[in-house]
Amino acid sequence: MLAIKNLTKSFKTRNAVDNISLDIPDGQMVGVIGRSGAGKSTLLRMINRLAEPTGGSIIFDGRDVTALKGRELLEWRANCAMVFQQFNLVGRLNVLTNVLTGRLYHHGLIASMFQVFTPAERAFAIRALDRLGMAHTALQQADTLSGGQMQRVAIARALAQEPKIVLADEPIASLDPMNAKVVMDALRTINREDGIAVICNLHTLDTARNYCDRVIGLFEGRVVFDGPPSALTEQAAREIYGAEADEAFSESMTSTTLKPAGTEVPAERLTEADLQQRARAELLAG
Amino acid sequence: MASIDVNAGPQPNDAVSVFEHHRSELRRQRLGMNILFIGAFLLALGLSIWVSRFYPDRLAAGLPRIFEYFGTIMPNLQFDLLFEGRGADGRAVPGSLTFWYSDFNVYIRLIVETIFMALTATILGATAAFLLCFPASRNLAPNSFIYIVSRRFMEICRGVPEILYALVFVFAIGIGPLAGVLAIAIHSAGALGKLFSEVNENASMRPVEGIRGVGGNWFEEIRYGVVPQVMPNFVSYTLLRFEINVRASSIVGFVGAGGIGAELNRVISLYSDDRVVAVLLLVVITVTLIDLLSEQMRTHFIGRENLQ
Repeated sequence: MLAIKNLTKSFKTRNAVDNISLDIPDGQMVGVIGRSGAGKSTLLRMINRLAEPTGGSIIFDGRDVTALKGRELLEWRANCAMVFQQFNLVGRLNVLTNVLTGRLYHHGLIASMFQVFTPAERAFAIRALDRLGMAHTALQQADTLSGGQMQRVAIARALAQEPKIVLADEPIASLDPMNAKVVMDALRTINREDGIAVICNLHTLDTARNYCDRVIGLFEGRVVFDGPPSALTEQAAREIYGAEADEAFSESMTSTTLKPAGTEVPAERLTEADLQQRARAELLAG
Repeated sequence: MASIDVNAGPQPNDAVSVFEHHRSELRRQRLGMNILFIGAFLLALGLSIWVSRFYPDRLAAGLPRIFEYFGTIMPNLQFDLLFEGRGADGRAVPGSLTFWYSDFNVYIRLIVETIFMALTATILGATAAFLLCFPASRNLAPNSFIYIVSRRFMEICRGVPEILYALVFVFAIGIGPLAGVLAIAIHSAGALGKLFSEVNENASMRPVEGIRGVGGNWFEEIRYGVVPQVMPNFVSYTLLRFEINVRASSIVGFVGAGGIGAELNRVISLYSDDRVVAVLLLVVITVTLIDLLSEQMRTHFIGRENLQ
């Protein structure tokens, strides 16, 4: 269980995160929503200690994460996997090595420097890739992949860490709707099958509604909403996004999800595979 | 929105007039700076002409003497004797290629020594530069103390010319190629280290953050996040340095630090005859060949980059 107490991050003129307290039980899928600049990223990066808090504490299973140093800090980062908006893969290494970097904490320095990984580790990495349907790209250089594929590799890297908790910082903000769905489905599968808590920054309300057990709304560094998606009324959304009362607020405007099958699908969202399938169907029909 | 009225004339707080005012101010500032720079440049040019006494009359007097010297060191080849071998008594005929290049075997041995000196020095220097360049990169240095120390160390390495290091090492460890190799390696470490660290500073930090996020330590961040990105550039710079080092190792011999330079120094100061041109020609041919070769290898590396 992750307990955040009075967490604050101050910059010169303002608090990016302002006295946030949260309890996140194991196995929960949490969506964090809010305007850009509301402090979502800072919050996540502080949990992983990629950013240093200026006040408050983060307790995981009774251990104060904010006080960790040296090797203990590295151990925490290994236990607390991070998925980034821009994937942060090493483009010039192959996919398998990228996934294997998830094992670096468990490695000796010499083995790391010479990229020596055991067959067991390779097998583990391949299985992680296979769960995300990416095993066939294992020997491809990472920068030859598409955005959606890269994010799936990044999630496989997170799985290779055998994490206790997964943080995802806007994992679908750079992806097209089709890939966004694949990535969100993958995160949810990990959450359900492995019982790992997933905290996910999202920029669209409907993704949070569709995927999360719990939605946390941030506004100017403070929690203004915390509850199940069903409690997220339009009034609450207005408060989170700071929309003026008379301003039109439409949830569908921020939506990037595809309409369910049967309703109209815009042509430009079809993938190449869809087009091939359609062509094949037309051929068969004569 | 009201349509824009072109004939409305300037208004005090209108966006256009604010912009025009700002623009003319900026141009005035730039003009002042340009005049200042041109003035400073002309002053420096005048001073350097005065200090080096680069005057037309001196130039006119000196140029013929240059040709005079080249006249004395030109080989006295005779066309009909060009391919004449050694006579029965083992002596070469004056005017033949054999006579001009009678020390050919010595020269070749020294040229090979020069190339190997450059190769060893480049490998040593590039290795040292590789180890130094990461702490000397602003974005990668673990703390500012290590950053400043490694930067200053590289500056000392490249701030002193090879020939001075060679002189010191000849005194310290004796005459021979080892002194030259060490001298060139130290200078290369400093020069390459600076270039390498500039490559590092332009590398994307995203992979580094990714490795930090999985619990990698500083060495792993460098090994996985930075090295794969910068390696092609490192190789290219190292090959360029090898060319420079071939030239450098043909010079350090002047102070006894091995290579063809010792022979060049000897023939210039003792004989000043056609042997000078014989050695010079070999040096020029060697350097040109090495340049062409490493150019080929470099474009091969860069070309492979662009294909991806």
